[in-house]
Amino acid sequence: MTVASPHREVPVGEVVLALEGVSRVYGTEVQVRALDDVSLDIRAGEFLSIIGPSGSGKSTMLGLLGVLDLPTDGAIRVRGTDVTRLADAERSRLRGEAIGFVFQQFHLIPHLTALGNVETALLYRGLTPRERRSRAMSALEQVGLGERHDHRPVQMSGGEQQRVAIARAISTDPGVVLADEPTGALDSRNAENVMQIFADLQSPERAICIVTHDMHVADATRRRISMLDGKIVADELLGGPSGGRVATGAGAGS
Amino acid sequence: MRRFRELVGVATAGLTARKIRTLLIMLGPILGVSAIVAAIGINESSKGHLKAKLQELGTDLIVVNASAGFGFGQDPVIEAAAVARVGRLPDVVAVTGTRQLSDIVTVPFAGAEDYYRAFPVPVIATGPELPATLEVPMVSGRFLNAFDKESSARVAVIGRDLADEYGYLAGESRTIELNGLEYGVVGVLDWVLLEPSMDSAVFVTFAAAIADWDLDDPDPNRLYVRAPTNTAMVAKEIPIVVSLGGPDGANASVPTDLLDAQSQVDESLNNLTKMMGGLALIVGGVGIANVMSISVIQRSSEIGIRRALGHSRGTIAVQFLFEALVVGVFGGILGALVGAGVVWGVAAQRGYTMVLSVTGLAGWALVSVGVAVVAGLYPSSKAARLEPLETLRLG
Repeated sequence: MTVASPHREVPVGEVVLALEGVSRVYGTEVQVRALDDVSLDIRAGEFLSIIGPSGSGKSTMLGLLGVLDLPTDGAIRVRGTDVTRLADAERSRLRGEAIGFVFQQFHLIPHLTALGNVETALLYRGLTPRERRSRAMSALEQVGLGERHDHRPVQMSGGEQQRVAIARAISTDPGVVLADEPTGALDSRNAENVMQIFADLQSPERAICIVTHDMHVADATRRRISMLDGKIVADELLGGPSGGRVATGAGAGS
Repeated sequence: MRRFRELVGVATAGLTARKIRTLLIMLGPILGVSAIVAAIGINESSKGHLKAKLQELGTDLIVVNASAGFGFGQDPVIEAAAVARVGRLPDVVAVTGTRQLSDIVTVPFAGAEDYYRAFPVPVIATGPELPATLEVPMVSGRFLNAFDKESSARVAVIGRDLADEYGYLAGESRTIELNGLEYGVVGVLDWVLLEPSMDSAVFVTFAAAIADWDLDDPDPNRLYVRAPTNTAMVAKEIPIVVSLGGPDGANASVPTDLLDAQSQVDESLNNLTKMMGGLALIVGGVGIANVMSISVIQRSSEIGIRRALGHSRGTIAVQFLFEALVVGVFGGILGALVGAGVVWGVAAQRGYTMVLSVTGLAGWALVSVGVAVVAGLYPSSKAARLEPLETLRLG
């Protein structure tokens, strides 16, 4: 896969999402240590990928980064706040404000139009219906689907559905967009298109983090974090005249 | 407020996306509320009808029947002196006695004797004041008058149904034969709602009855007493002034009380229908809980998405509660409308005036809302407890 300009120069800002010594153990009698004392900083402006074979702990990491799950040990900081100490309502609010999700299976709500799906992310935020609509429309326009706003998911191709999902993820101006195998259910042309959109969405205000097992996808990003057996085994900056951080592998195993 | 509108919007979107299912779960509240509203409405309307009828009859008429004292065999009567005593009671404005004569064969035209012997027409001896006391007008002609009474003239008044049966024309000179004696028909009395038997009766004076047949004295066995004030008290006094401690007795009753009692009987039937409606509501509530629980499982991925988008557990619970609420509101409103329609139909068919309390309609619609919300509690909490990670199936 080739992406036209993945390495757009974007300044890297402050930490928006951080794992601090995070472990996640599943099961009570037979314990599986899916994530083992992992630390990771994600900064605004970063375009990174988390890569690893199945069972490496990357899905667990995604669940924790997205605050959909809580760690057995350690802290998850969203914009500096440790979410493990928050009640559900606060945690949910923070998740809605700081994080946007893109899933492999798109996960659009089938009975809503494209616009309705994007607007769902903007509910309960004190916006007027007009504001909500215009923000959702501009997000759809950013992914080039402004004219198809009244189509339902079944009327769209996979690639278009994924673009709607991306619009939904960015509509709230989150600090981090977490994408879980965003190209996994797409053909190569649509996959390329989606990766191009991610590349174009890079901005100093937001980080884009793609979880994948596909090396091509990972190579299209600027920072690649490799996972194996619940640990980070490599954290490297890729190609391009980044001049930013040096690939140190910091955090791997630590 | 904005949040409220958003919740309603999300709930209605969720419901309209599954129209058949929504309609099915709405059926419970619709049936329950409409059954209750219809039961109450029909009862109220028929009660209203009864009340109108009571108004027409007048609630101040007392009927007094002679009752046997110590004597045997003889028909009990109320002596003329006792009638006068009743008439002198305060509050009493009119008294008229009647006595149904036995063994009188009435033959309206020649050759009909066999038929009227088999199906005798009641012959009632009474006084000139009967129409005034009963407040019943004449259809044609006049009632018996003082002259008839003085002269024991052979004149008769017939009831309206009897007049129709005879083919009597207003103003026609006609006689009917009472035990072989020709009586001239002088008038037709209108329908007597309280005493339908009078509609096909022949009225003659006591004087004529004494003169022509073996009636000994002008003592009635039934009195009609009009007492516009203190009716109930007068009804209690009458037996006392009739008997004065003597062997003769009398029972006094206010016939409209009987109609009132009839409406009480309807009440218990009404309660049964209400209970059945309530049962339908509860079953409807169980249906809502059931269908929504399944719906929560089917929509688990939607719930996971919403959680990922920042909706809290509480918001998810409230969203599903609002779906139940919307079902309850629309089910309640539709049920109230259907129930009102049924009441309207029944009232129109039976000639009642439709009586329906608007606050009652709203109240039962609210009950439906309450049932739906309670039914929605379990599925909502179930939806709130779903773990987003389990429903989103991350790569």
